[in-house]
Amino acid sequence: MVRARILLFATLRDKYKVGELEVTCDGTVRSLIESADGILGKDFLNRIYDVSQNKVREDLIFAVNGRNMKDMTEEIEIKEGDTVAIFPLIAGG
Amino acid sequence: MTRGFVGKILKVDLTTKNITTEPIEEEVAKKYLGGKGYAVYLLYQYIKQYELKGISPQNIDPLGKENVLIFATGPGTGVPRFPSSGRHHVMALKAPLTGSIGSGNAGGEWGAFLKFSGFDGIVIEGVSDAPVYLALIDGKAEIRDAGELWGKNTMDTTRALMNSVGGKNTSVACIGPAGENLIPMAVIMNDEYRAAGRAGLGAVMGSKRLKAIIVSGDQKVPVAKSEEFRKVADRCLDAIKNNSVTGEGLPTYGTAVLVNVINTAGAFPYKNWQTGIMPDAEDISGETLTKEYLVRKRACWGCTIGCGRISSVKSGPFQILNAEGPEYETIWSLGSACGINGFAAIVKAHHLCNELGLDPISLGSTIAAAMELNEKGYIPEEHLQGWVLEFGNAAVIVEAAWRTAYKIGFGKHLALGSRKLCSLYGHPDFSMAVKGLEMPAYDPRGIKGMGLGYATSNRGGCHLTGYTVAPEIVGIPEKIDPLTTEDKARWVKLFQDFASVINSTVNCQFASFALGAKDYAELLSAVTGWDLSEGEVLKIGERIYNLERVIMSRLGFDGKDDTLPPRLLREPMPEGPAKWHIVDLEKMKREYYTLRGWANGVPTPEKLEELEIEL
Repeated sequence: MVRARILLFATLRDKYKVGELEVTCDGTVRSLIESADGILGKDFLNRIYDVSQNKVREDLIFAVNGRNMKDMTEEIEIKEGDTVAIFPLIAGG
Repeated sequence: MTRGFVGKILKVDLTTKNITTEPIEEEVAKKYLGGKGYAVYLLYQYIKQYELKGISPQNIDPLGKENVLIFATGPGTGVPRFPSSGRHHVMALKAPLTGSIGSGNAGGEWGAFLKFSGFDGIVIEGVSDAPVYLALIDGKAEIRDAGELWGKNTMDTTRALMNSVGGKNTSVACIGPAGENLIPMAVIMNDEYRAAGRAGLGAVMGSKRLKAIIVSGDQKVPVAKSEEFRKVADRCLDAIKNNSVTGEGLPTYGTAVLVNVINTAGAFPYKNWQTGIMPDAEDISGETLTKEYLVRKRACWGCTIGCGRISSVKSGPFQILNAEGPEYETIWSLGSACGINGFAAIVKAHHLCNELGLDPISLGSTIAAAMELNEKGYIPEEHLQGWVLEFGNAAVIVEAAWRTAYKIGFGKHLALGSRKLCSLYGHPDFSMAVKGLEMPAYDPRGIKGMGLGYATSNRGGCHLTGYTVAPEIVGIPEKIDPLTTEDKARWVKLFQDFASVINSTVNCQFASFALGAKDYAELLSAVTGWDLSEGEVLKIGERIYNLERVIMSRLGFDGKDDTLPPRLLREPMPEGPAKWHIVDLEKMKREYYTLRGWANGVPTPEKLEELEIEL
C-alpha cells in the first residue's frame, strides 16, 4: 500500500469542501479514487471515474505529479508520495 | 447593403479635422469579414499609398502623423444572440513597443454601441494640434475640444463624457495619463475596465492627441436570415451553457482559475521565468480570489459566459472597494513574475493600471526583468532613488504603476518596456519578450506549442493569437502532449487562423471553447446571407493572417524575428513536470513555415495567389 496526496480544485473543491487529502491505495488509480470516495462521499468515485469503462472520466484534468494522465501512454502506477491533482475542465486566456 | 454591417466606416483626419465616411465594400468583407480582417486590408492600402509616395513603412514613426489607428467591429458585433459579441478590435500600422503591426481586442459595450451609433469602424489619420475627442452620436460624427479632459484618468474621462452625452447605448473609449505621456505600454480603455492595445496603442492615440471616443445610438444591425440565425444562435448558446469551461469554470472563477492548472503543469513562470513553479501559487489562485476578494461577476454586452470579476480588498494598505478583475495574465505578471503572492497588492496595482491606461502584462513583466537585473547587481543604486526593487516586494508593483505612467524616478526606465530597459543595463537576455512585446503567463518549456505561437504571433509575444493551451493543457478540442513538438505546427496554424476569424467577426475568443469553426460558418452565413463553409471560414482566417504578415515584412520583419528569448531556448526548466525541457523552436518553425507556405517567415507569391490576396 502507498500513501498519496489528492488535490482538488475549482468546482470540485467547492463540492467536496476539501482542497487536499491524503489517501492510502494499492498503487492503482481506481483504488486511489475509491479510497478518497470513502472519505469524501457524495459519489466522488462516479464523479471522477467511469466505472463501466474502468478509466478516469474524460471531462477532467487528472494530473499525476503534474503530468496529465491523457499524455501518458503506460498504465499509471501511483507511488509513495505522489501528488494527484484533479480539475474540472477549465480554461481562460 | 452588406448584412451584419451598418454600412459605414468613419474616416477622420485629425491634422485637417476633415471627417468623411466610406461604405463597407461587400467584396472586401466577403474576403476579410470585418473587425481585424477589414482593418488589415485597410492598413495594407496605406502601406501601398505610402510606398507610392516614397515613404518607407520601416521609417514610419509609430508616434508620428503617418501612423493610422483603426477601431473595427464585424458582422457578429452587436447582433443580439450572437454569442459574446460585445467586442471590438483595434489596430495600428505600427505599435510603439514593437515596431510591428499593432493589434488589440476588447470587450465591454463599446464595440456593440459603436455599431448602434451608425458606424462599423473608425479610421484615424494624422495628428491634432490640440487635445480632442470624437463624438459619434446617432449617425453623426464630430471632433470636439478635449482640453478639459486632458490629464484625467480613464474613469474621470469616461464619467465626464457619459454625463455630458447621456442617453441609451452610450459608451466611452479613452486613454489615461499613460497614453498621454506616450508610454509604449499604454492601452485604450473602454467602459472604464476593458482594455485594448498591447504594445502601446494607447500611446498611438495619445500621439494623435485623441483623448476619447464616445459612441451612442440605437441603430439595429441587419440580419439576412433571422429565423435560421435564431436557430443556430440558440444551439450555440446552449453549447456554451453546457460546456464545462464556458458554463461553469469561467463564470464561477473567472480566468484566474488557470493559476493552479498552469502551476500544476510546471509552466507558471516565476521570478522572471527563472522557473515554472510558484511555491505559494494557491495564494493568488482563482479559488482564493473567489473566496476572499470577489464581490460579483460581470459580463460584457451580449455575453452569457460572464468571466469578468469585480473584486475588493476590504482593509490594509492596498484597500480598494471596487476593482475589475484581475485576470489570469495580470495575476501572473504582477504576481508570480515578480515573486509576489500578495493578492491585495495585485488587485490594487491592476486597478491603477486601468485608471492610468497601462498594460499590466507588459508592466509586470518589465518590473520582473528589473527585479532580476537588480538582484544580480546590474542596476546602480542611485538609479533606484531608494526603491527596494526586489522579488516579492508587493508594494513595488503598486508604486510602479503610477511611476511608469508619469515617468517619475525609476519609472522612467520601466516606461521603456523590458527590451530597452534590459539593453540599457547591458543584459537584453532578461527581457522575456518576442519582437519587444512581453509574453504572458505560460512557459513554453512546459507547453511547447505556445513557444511556436509566441515566436510567430504577428504582434509579438501574444498568448491569444494561437492559444494552444486549450489542447495542450485542457484538452479542448482534444488532448495533445504539451511536452512534445510533434504536430504543434499544425495546431498553432489552425488556432492562429481561427483566432483571426474570431477577431474579424468580432466576438469573444472564449466562445470558441464551446464552438468550432463550423459554428462560426453557420452563424456568419445566417447573419450575412453568404454561404460559408467551415473550410471557407478558415481560409478567410488564413488570408487575414497572411496579409498581416505581408504588412510585417514591409515593416522590416522576417523569420529572424520569429524567435524566443535565450532563456527559453537554452536554459533547461529547473524543476517540475517539465524539468530539463527547453523549447526546440527551430524544428517546429521549419514545419510551421512549410505548412504556412512561407519562405523565411514571409508568404510566398504562390501562397498569396492561392489565398487570392492582391498586392
